[in-house]
Amino acid sequence: MNRREALKKTVFLGGTALASTSMLTLLQSCQQQSRLDWQPLFLSVDHAQLVSSLVDTILPTTDTPGGLDVKLDMFIDLIYAKSLDENAQQQQVQELDAFNQKCTDQFGSAFHQLDADQKKTILMAEESKSPKFNGGVWGTAVGEQEPVGFYRSLKSLMLWGYFTSEAIGKDVLNYDPIPGEYKGCVPLSEVGKVWSL
Amino acid sequence: MPNYNIKAKQDMTYDAIVVGSGISGGWAAKELCEAGLKTLILERGRLIDPAQDFPNMYKESWDFDMHGSLTPEDRQKHYKGIRTGFIGESSKHFYANDEENPYTEVKPFLWVRAHQMGGRSQLWGRQSYRWSEIDFEANAVDGHGVDWPIRYKDLEPWYTYVEKFAGISGEALGLPQLPDSHFLPPMELNCVEKDIKERIEREYPGRHMIIGRVAHLTEAINGRGQCQYRNKCGDGCPYRAYFSSVNATLPAAEATGNLTIRPYSIAHSVMYDEATGKASGVRLIDAETGEMMEYFSRVIFLNASTLSSTRILMNSTSNRFPNGMGNDSGELGHNLMDHTYRIGAMGIFDGHADKYYKGRRPNGIYIPRYWNISEQTRSDKFVRGFGFQGGAYRKGWGRGANVESFGAEFKDSLIHDPGPWEFFITGFAECLPYHDNKVTLDTDNLDKWGQPTLAIDCDWKENELALNEQIQEDAVEMLEKVGLTDIVGFDNKHEPGFGIHEMGTARMGRDPRTSVLNGTNQIHAVPNVFVTDGACMTSNSCVNPSLTYMALTARAADHAISELKKQNL
Repeated sequence: MNRREALKKTVFLGGTALASTSMLTLLQSCQQQSRLDWQPLFLSVDHAQLVSSLVDTILPTTDTPGGLDVKLDMFIDLIYAKSLDENAQQQQVQELDAFNQKCTDQFGSAFHQLDADQKKTILMAEESKSPKFNGGVWGTAVGEQEPVGFYRSLKSLMLWGYFTSEAIGKDVLNYDPIPGEYKGCVPLSEVGKVWSL
Repeated sequence: MPNYNIKAKQDMTYDAIVVGSGISGGWAAKELCEAGLKTLILERGRLIDPAQDFPNMYKESWDFDMHGSLTPEDRQKHYKGIRTGFIGESSKHFYANDEENPYTEVKPFLWVRAHQMGGRSQLWGRQSYRWSEIDFEANAVDGHGVDWPIRYKDLEPWYTYVEKFAGISGEALGLPQLPDSHFLPPMELNCVEKDIKERIEREYPGRHMIIGRVAHLTEAINGRGQCQYRNKCGDGCPYRAYFSSVNATLPAAEATGNLTIRPYSIAHSVMYDEATGKASGVRLIDAETGEMMEYFSRVIFLNASTLSSTRILMNSTSNRFPNGMGNDSGELGHNLMDHTYRIGAMGIFDGHADKYYKGRRPNGIYIPRYWNISEQTRSDKFVRGFGFQGGAYRKGWGRGANVESFGAEFKDSLIHDPGPWEFFITGFAECLPYHDNKVTLDTDNLDKWGQPTLAIDCDWKENELALNEQIQEDAVEMLEKVGLTDIVGFDNKHEPGFGIHEMGTARMGRDPRTSVLNGTNQIHAVPNVFVTDGACMTSNSCVNPSLTYMALTARAADHAISELKKQNL
């Protein structure tokens, strides 16, 4: 059985099917042939590798944790599995395929197998050609939002997942759960970093 | 001789029944209970116990598996309300289930419901402005709709009365188009807002930019705590620092010992007694059992929300009122209004890169109406006017998705550099009362309790569209004049309902032939029924309405109490 097909079918059957013993066995047996050390809920191994590699390229580990350190690839998989409806999931699968196909057309391999320069070339091209998000007022984009495409949309999901995670939102950004006051004008040097909330 | 079940009726009898426990129902209950009336609140949703029913008030994004994202099932359950952009995991339980509470959009209309004790006062924006004499005179002056039966001076003492209890923070400025409240200390503008204020007021004499006036305690009063600037109001406030029924009016009503709340009670209709010419009580459907029950009282306050109060009256038919209680004028259900929403401009402020703020202010700036407030400000394109809300903030990590970069430096810059200052303003325009903006009972589409639903038929017309054009033009021009860059004007062309300021459909007026309610919110022909929520509004100003509902309710309750004492009801 094609692995992606198996997973897709599983997801479309509903979340409970994933817990069944036969599926777990299938997943484990497939995983022995992959380099994934986690079990996706939605993504195929190919797609999980693509997402992990994009996370690591966009938000690498520095003196602060990187995306992979906070399990951002697993978070993205969770959102795809539990927050998208079936149509959006199908579209996601197509877009992930198309992205890897683009990498293969240009450099002969899937994204995660490219070297650092090749990855950079691919992402710079995406950055320059992807439409931007409109500004927002009270949680809703203003004006007509042109579709931003797979790359910028995933990048946005990535940043949101990263900065709203406990490891970053609480321990890296400036976290002040109960400010107690509002001061409208303080030196940036006194705050130091970006506010978490 | 038959057996009369007298005791049962006694158990079902109160001095007063209040339908709904939202912003106006809470006030009605407080005032009636404090006057010694045994008062029953009928609440269609569940009770809220602050000790356990605000489960997320201390939670952060990371305490939710999906950081607050909804599932497809949640989105289906809230398939209408989700258009607001406000419904997330942490507060979704305070929004009504749209699948169980259908309505028909004859023309697109967003109707946001909140079915629990406290209603939408749990979720409101808390912006609180007095209406002015200009607002109460508007219909009489330009001839749209009917004249208000009251003027500013009639409501002025009641504004003060409710403000002292609710707690409104703001700055007194003496503007005729935006009368000052009895204020708690104002919240602070940030550095960029202060600069922009100075520039707007310099460039446009007579135009003002002020800190929003909000129902938040900037000082502890009446046993409630001071705002802690968490900006998590909708999840529940541990300090009871913002005004809501659960935080303020219902505890006060309960403290009298005169309050009973009956949850899961969907008011079906008001019962009319032909012999006395008065209402005798309220018929309700128990939402859990489907059972129809009757409760009796000397006075009834309808505070179910604009459209729900009207639906109840439409459902209240009798020989005397075949077309709905109080509908002698044929105006019941008509003259529905809302404010236009999300039209404005945003831009980047260069400067103050070394400045930041501390705290999450649950408030923004306000630019009061400046059109059609004097001979000099008269427009030849539209009547009435609009105000702007807005604010300045640093974009923070949220800018990252659009930044054409990635990798180590990119990541570190989003952690250490708060990014540019952005400033936006978005207008709220007054809507005229039109007879053909209306709701009707839809007997073809019944809800899960077998009751007729509402069909809403409402749209913006020429004057609102002209106001919106002016909002857009003025917003862009103002931001240009104050020196912002990367200015983007926007008009989301939202349908009515997005403002969540539904008003009208049972309007007050001087003449029973053209209005439903009199000057003290009583149904002209049924004086012991009061309607004091948004349904009563005769026009809709351009400022947020809740403070005015509070004042109208307290005033009407005072009248009800005094009439009861005189045996007039």
